[in-house]
Amino acid sequence: MRAHFCPECDHILSLTRHGDYFAFFGLPRRLVLDPADLEQRFRRMSRQFHPDFFHNAAAAERLASLERSSYLNDAWRVLKDPATRVEYLLGLEGLAPAKESEGGAARGGVPAALLEEVFAFNEELDEIRAAREAGGDPHGLRARLERAREPIERKQRQYEARLAELSAAWDASHRRGTLEELRELFLERKYLRNLMETIERELQALPA
Amino acid sequence: MSNVVGIDLGTTNSLVACVRDGVPVVIRDSRGDALVPSVVSFAEDGTVYVGREAQRRLLTETGRTVYSVKRFMGRGVDDVVDEARRLPFRVSGEPGGVIRIGVGDREMTPPEISALVLRELKHRAEAFFREAGEFDFEVDRAVITVPAYFNDAQRTATRDAGRLAGLEVLRIINEPTAASLAYGLEASNRGTIAVYDLGGGTFDISILKVEDGVFQVLATNGDTRLGGDDLDAVLIEQVIGEACGGSAPPPDAVQAIRKAVIQAKQDLSEQDRTEIVVEPTPGMPGGYRATLTRERFEGLIRPLVERTLGPCRQALADAGVAAREIDEVVLVGGSTRVPLVRRAVEDLFGRRPHAELNPDEVVAIGAAVQADILVSGRREMLLLDVTPLSLGIETMGGVVSKLVLRNSTIPATGREMFTTGVDNQTAVDVHVLQGERELAADCRSLARFRLRGIPPMPAGLPRIEVAFQIDANGILSASARELRTGVEQTIDVKPSYGMTDEQVEQMLLDSFEHAEADFDARMLIDARNDAETVAQATEKALRRPDFDDVVAGELAAGELERIREALKALKAVLRGSDRDEILKQTSALNDATQHLAEVVMNRTVRAALAGRNVAEV
Repeated sequence: MRAHFCPECDHILSLTRHGDYFAFFGLPRRLVLDPADLEQRFRRMSRQFHPDFFHNAAAAERLASLERSSYLNDAWRVLKDPATRVEYLLGLEGLAPAKESEGGAARGGVPAALLEEVFAFNEELDEIRAAREAGGDPHGLRARLERAREPIERKQRQYEARLAELSAAWDASHRRGTLEELRELFLERKYLRNLMETIERELQALPA
Repeated sequence: MSNVVGIDLGTTNSLVACVRDGVPVVIRDSRGDALVPSVVSFAEDGTVYVGREAQRRLLTETGRTVYSVKRFMGRGVDDVVDEARRLPFRVSGEPGGVIRIGVGDREMTPPEISALVLRELKHRAEAFFREAGEFDFEVDRAVITVPAYFNDAQRTATRDAGRLAGLEVLRIINEPTAASLAYGLEASNRGTIAVYDLGGGTFDISILKVEDGVFQVLATNGDTRLGGDDLDAVLIEQVIGEACGGSAPPPDAVQAIRKAVIQAKQDLSEQDRTEIVVEPTPGMPGGYRATLTRERFEGLIRPLVERTLGPCRQALADAGVAAREIDEVVLVGGSTRVPLVRRAVEDLFGRRPHAELNPDEVVAIGAAVQADILVSGRREMLLLDVTPLSLGIETMGGVVSKLVLRNSTIPATGREMFTTGVDNQTAVDVHVLQGERELAADCRSLARFRLRGIPPMPAGLPRIEVAFQIDANGILSASARELRTGVEQTIDVKPSYGMTDEQVEQMLLDSFEHAEADFDARMLIDARNDAETVAQATEKALRRPDFDDVVAGELAAGELERIREALKALKAVLRGSDRDEILKQTSALNDATQHLAEVVMNRTVRAALAGRNVAEV
């Protein structure tokens, strides 16, 4: 907490550089964090920085409070979720997964590990779409979509478990190889999420 | 020290509260009434009425009276075609520009009209502080609430209205969050709460986690076009269908119908059946009467009530909380008095909602508490709110790239890099949007920024970082810097549905000028009223049956002539606009009739005493 205030005069310090979110919370770079501890830190720091408490302060302090609490909120949002935490750490370590808008593995080819599921899924989806356009029974189509979702969901659960495993492994060893594995896993996971979104859209397109 | 207040600026009603000696108080008028109807009526002689009187004038001055203006705040004319059709005043504006509301020959923006309501609340609060014996009773700072689901333009318009009313807006806070603060004062100190807020024109749902005095909003959702007004509209349609055989009734009749159905709706919160009684108006001389059962009413409004459930489920999903994990459900807004609404909420969350505090007043109380936190520096409580809508910018192909996701805790920032497409290009245009959809065309356009002053370089070389800042009010600002040279860029902002700062400044200047004109008008009206009273009293005395007797017996020679002359002189100037002349002639007539007044008074007293015995007197 001391890092955020002037040691001499106790005034809030302006945020000079974009450090890293872990350091900002006073935490080591770890992928497994205790959610309750993180949340408590977040609340405590909010009470320290929030613009509400600097309303009558000098302009420079008001600005520092706005910057510091914005940064705190951004840091909290990223670190509280285990997956965005991984993504953030990959960025810090120079292994940022490609942004969606830039294409790359996330948008381009099907990840090799998912070929089988994706192939089956796409075939089924094409049939469902054709049936929908031909005015097929919405109840039946809804049931088919729900069934098509099951293997994807199963795969997602596997990925979440693997993400947790690799996260713990990195914390223990700090091996670069683990990070590279995490990066692959992360991109495949994103691919799965896109598939799930497609299913949701198809479900919504069905007449009620 | 001047005073701060919390204001709930509602679609139907507004109210003001403050914290005195650590206790929040709702400020009431002399009759104990806290609600100021958000209605403004512009009389032909220039007088502006706000509140109850304006509401009464809806029936008589239908085309000159404006209500539900909150629905137009921060919107464009294309957004409100359907709503405008239901309303008796003119709504116009350039496509993609600010809405103008026309009354008589005046054209005003929604913030200007809201400012009149705010000014009324400011006066009410000042009267309260004066009576409480404050040496400095001025109210110059306020926290104003908005629906949580209001976008940037709607928040900015609300802030502009505050400035136009002569208030420094300390903070814009969300209505459901304010309500939770009011409840949090007494309720247990931790848990997950859902605030269901169905007001006159808007619906919000917020899910909060309260711990250690921190009120943290986890997610919010809503519909800024769904509220009590819409329940009324369903009933109005129904009555028009039955009473007018499908033809459109004149505006005064619509207002009479509206008044009657609102009464019926309120009755049905207490009873199973009621009578809709439409008073006769010139446009509908026969009036109208019909029985309405609660069952029928609920059948009519059910689809609207069900529309609130989707946003509730979405907010729960975004908060990552199941309905059964909610510890407390709080009801806010007058429309939550409708039994069907209560049942729907109870079914969704599986628990009986709280309604101990008056649902009309909790929001203003919370705003007052927040105002007190801001000025006092008290740290026991802290509100951490979220931005209700994702913020993004338009990229290639009209696709939106999201920079700040919805339900992010505010203040929050988003950054994006831009570059140039042509050699030596010195300006770049950025289109900022708010919303959840993929395409820019489906999101809400907030503003277009033009980044200027980029150092000339080959195309693609500049690295311009634009930083978007959403502050604790949920309002956006932006700054830009070219990273290679460190040159700060100027940003010209063109709000899509709002006013630029310069426009607001100009309005402020105009309103000061108007304030003087308004003040003069008021003074003239007062002088005329006084003159009228004196003239009428004189005429009444001259018409007394015993007047000849009075003249013969008690008036001096020529006195009657002098009175008649003074009366004639006053009547000659009474309708004019020379206030000094009116005052002069009023005082002349007063002088001339002083003796007559004494005589008449004595006679009246004698007449009253005659025929009574001493004991009775």
